[in-house]
Amino acid sequence: MNTPFYKYGAFGDETSLVVAFVIGIGFGFFLERAGFGSARKLVSQFYLNDLAVFKVMFTAIVTAMLGTTYLAWMGVLDLSLVYLTPTVLWPQLVGGLVLGIGFVIGGYCPGTSVASVATGRLDGLAFVLGLPVGTLLFAEAFPWIRGFYENGSVGVQTLPGVFDLPYGLVVFAVVLMALGGFAGASWIEKKFQPR
Amino acid sequence: MRHWMSSLTLNQKLAALAFVLGVVAVFAKPTGGGAVTIDPTDLARIVETEVDHVDPLDLADWIMAGRADYRLVDLRDEKAFGEYHIPGAQRLLITDLPDAGLPRNEKIVLYSDGGIHSAQAWFLLKAKGYTGVYMLLGGLDAWRDEVLFPTLAKNPTPYQQQRNEKLTAIARHFGGQPRSGAADTEAAPQIAAMPKLELPSGVAAPAGAAKKKKKEGC
Repeated sequence: MNTPFYKYGAFGDETSLVVAFVIGIGFGFFLERAGFGSARKLVSQFYLNDLAVFKVMFTAIVTAMLGTTYLAWMGVLDLSLVYLTPTVLWPQLVGGLVLGIGFVIGGYCPGTSVASVATGRLDGLAFVLGLPVGTLLFAEAFPWIRGFYENGSVGVQTLPGVFDLPYGLVVFAVVLMALGGFAGASWIEKKFQPR
Repeated sequence: MRHWMSSLTLNQKLAALAFVLGVVAVFAKPTGGGAVTIDPTDLARIVETEVDHVDPLDLADWIMAGRADYRLVDLRDEKAFGEYHIPGAQRLLITDLPDAGLPRNEKIVLYSDGGIHSAQAWFLLKAKGYTGVYMLLGGLDAWRDEVLFPTLAKNPTPYQQQRNEKLTAIARHFGGQPRSGAADTEAAPQIAAMPKLELPSGVAAPAGAAKKKKKEGC
């Protein structure tokens, strides 16, 4: 068995849309189960009294990282065929800030807003309607911001490459970071409980 | 021991599991595509079923649609490349191919004048463990005959008329000119010089420069 399935031609473009749909439904289901369909739950992240977002997301990262590491080690997964988003430093920093500010103000990020609409929340609907509007504005403004959009492009970067460390050691370090982060998050939550 | 285990919460057990997996992972050596096994049967199947071909008209469609999910590689020399190349192509000699560091997770479309060089390059990349390697069917010769200077059907049926119009639009887009069918029977098809290398508007700049964002990832 060779994976990634799509890159090895196990299914074509059309089937990949079905696969994406199924995975998307699963993603939404677990977002909702984690309580992320509610803006209150998401925003309490920023008031430090409920760090569930941090915990769930970091858990997902560690689970996926360990899974891909072991699959690649067994020779089932070819990591070099996995798509990695190239780093474009400045626009990604600014984009992250814009998303973060929107997150604090509105209480959703793109994925969770869709999950919240699925459970019938109207504030989520406002977000989802905002998505195409923002996309359109970006597309129309693209000729003017193109220079910035490509500013600081450094290609695909990975932690083992940047720090020049063995791959396995970075995996271990990220696991330690996560475990430390979870312990720290629980401590912070207790400290910032609303009285 | 058992008593100690059962006193842990589920979260603590999962954390311990992650820790153990993390420790073992220190010794992990994920294969980065270094070890490649060539499966002759599989290669033969690919050759037989011709799934490794890209039709020139399909490629023209991709370029006109602005698709950016592939990388077009021109295997000819600098001079030939300078005279004409398909919009969006990057030049790479076959000798540079193994060490060019082409991304292994992209669809790579190879072309040369005819089909031989690209077929050889195709095998070379397959042997390096590349999976998404394709050849332009018929190479640049076919691109010239089918895309730039297509022969239009004479006395077309409505269906052929439709096709003629489409071929004309494609040819014009790439700076070519369709030929009408009948005149060419006695003389060899007259082909004017290859179009000048002014890229038609709306066509991606030669790759290697800024590539468009891929429709992949999140």
